Amino acid sequence: MKINYVNFVPAFVGLVRLFLGWAVLVAAVANAAQIGIEPSSEASADSQAQSPQGNHAEVSPQSAGAWLAKLSDAAQNLNFEVAFVVSRINNETVPYLWRHGIVDGIQMEQLNMQNGPGRELIRVDDVVSVFEPDTRPYSLHSRAISGPIPFELLYSPESLAEGYAFVEVGRARVAGRPAQQLRVVSRDNTRFSYQLWLDEATGMLLKLNTLDLQGNMLEQIQVTAMNITDTAPSYFSKVNRHSLPEPLALSVSSAPPQHWVVEYLPEGMKEIKQDVRRLALTGQVVEYKLFSDGLVDVSVYVQPAEDAVGSDLVLRHELSTFLTLTDGKVQVTVVGEIPLQTANAIATSLRLKSKSND
Amino acid sequence: MTQQQEKLSAFMDGETHSADIMDDILRDEALKTKWQRYHVIRSGLRKEATVAPNMDITAAVAEALADEPTVMAPKPSRWRSLPLVGNVVPFAKQGGQFAVAASVAVAVVLGVQQMNKPEATEPFSTFETRAQFGGMAPVSLEQTRTLPRNDMDMVLEKKRKINALIADHEQQVKLKQAEEELTSTDKTEDTGSAPN
Repeated sequence: MKINYVNFVPAFVGLVRLFLGWAVLVAAVANAAQIGIEPSSEASADSQAQSPQGNHAEVSPQSAGAWLAKLSDAAQNLNFEVAFVVSRINNETVPYLWRHGIVDGIQMEQLNMQNGPGRELIRVDDVVSVFEPDTRPYSLHSRAISGPIPFELLYSPESLAEGYAFVEVGRARVAGRPAQQLRVVSRDNTRFSYQLWLDEATGMLLKLNTLDLQGNMLEQIQVTAMNITDTAPSYFSKVNRHSLPEPLALSVSSAPPQHWVVEYLPEGMKEIKQDVRRLALTGQVVEYKLFSDGLVDVSVYVQPAEDAVGSDLVLRHELSTFLTLTDGKVQVTVVGEIPLQTANAIATSLRLKSKSND
Repeated sequence: MTQQQEKLSAFMDGETHSADIMDDILRDEALKTKWQRYHVIRSGLRKEATVAPNMDITAAVAEALADEPTVMAPKPSRWRSLPLVGNVVPFAKQGGQFAVAASVAVAVVLGVQQMNKPEATEPFSTFETRAQFGGMAPVSLEQTRTLPRNDMDMVLEKKRKINALIADHEQQVKLKQAEEELTSTDKTEDTGSAPN
């Protein structure tokens, strides 16, 4: 594993800065022209014409949407073995191994954290099994492994179009391969933005940067080695599907409607679920809503002020913002990978539903 | 003098065999101490330090004490009955002097120990350093705790609550997909179209 890519991080930051001014210009133009991702027949025809083994000297200019469709196709249909590292500011670099293969027509995927006691996730079709230290292995029904790479970006980029604009930036060289650089920017500029580099030949992800609103890099995912093969990685033949834990039966509880609403939400963000629950660690009862725009998830907690934190507080935990506000009676807490301003806007937009509106 | 020094070092290196330097050493007190110092330095450099420091601390201390005014530690009873400033000051002074002499001795002893330390070839050396760290850490922690107990409890309680919320958020995000899957399969069952 070539971890020495880490040394390039400062250099990349410089590059990123260089790119940024230019990219903002491009983004503005793209916004004006309403170039988003279009999952139209045109885009899919384009990506089909571009066979994965196509001669990349003849790569025709494609829209950002077509590139993402290509990424989605590659991530679901190719047999690959990818080593990548995740770097965050003030944190150690974490290496991962990511394998994917089609075995007897079924998608199999593995994500393995390479340092420390490790964490291993294995997906067979729509069941993800999780192996972690200190926890009994368990399985969940899910079509994607939730790792450092946002799975919506990999599998259904078109679903992000409501909240984000995709902009093609240009060609570059990443991990020793010719690459296409794209930018993913939230349409209302309230969320972190992303830069990604896709392999020109296959469409595979080579690099993904997460930037805050000022353009500072928060996280970098960098592929260090990639091996695309005709047959599935031999690892999957060793996986005994019958010995994987049975998927947990989750029940979707229909919680009673709550008496509060969040009036402000960033563009493209939707309520995923709401319920009333006890926190696992303290046993406190909270009213809870989860919002998501596909790339980031935001939790909003409401609880009585007397058994909550009790004061206004802001914390940054890696990419996550933790914001808690109280008016003396009620404590509102917003947690998620969003800028502080956005978290504050969400928290302060909380209104009690009047009974008449119910 | 410099000629003598050269002769001396040559003699130490075994490069001259003339006897007159020996006579010089025996005769000259300064040369004699130099001879001794050179040997200490050499053995120090070679990490032998067997000749080591019979540097005479006792003599130095005795000398310092001799120079001192003769006021020794006054008897407690007398000191109480005669609370004279003049008496107190020399006592403090003398204490200081004593401390200095003692600290010199400690420094020398430490130095010698360092010199005589066997080369760390054993793999156990890492274990030793660890043990030292482990032993020291809790002491310093306890000493730096200045917060009153009540505040500490509140801070810890706050932390616990914050952690509970963050942990819950992370868990919800993990479960989100699975639950989405559940609801989406319910919805798409009728149309029969798979996601993606």
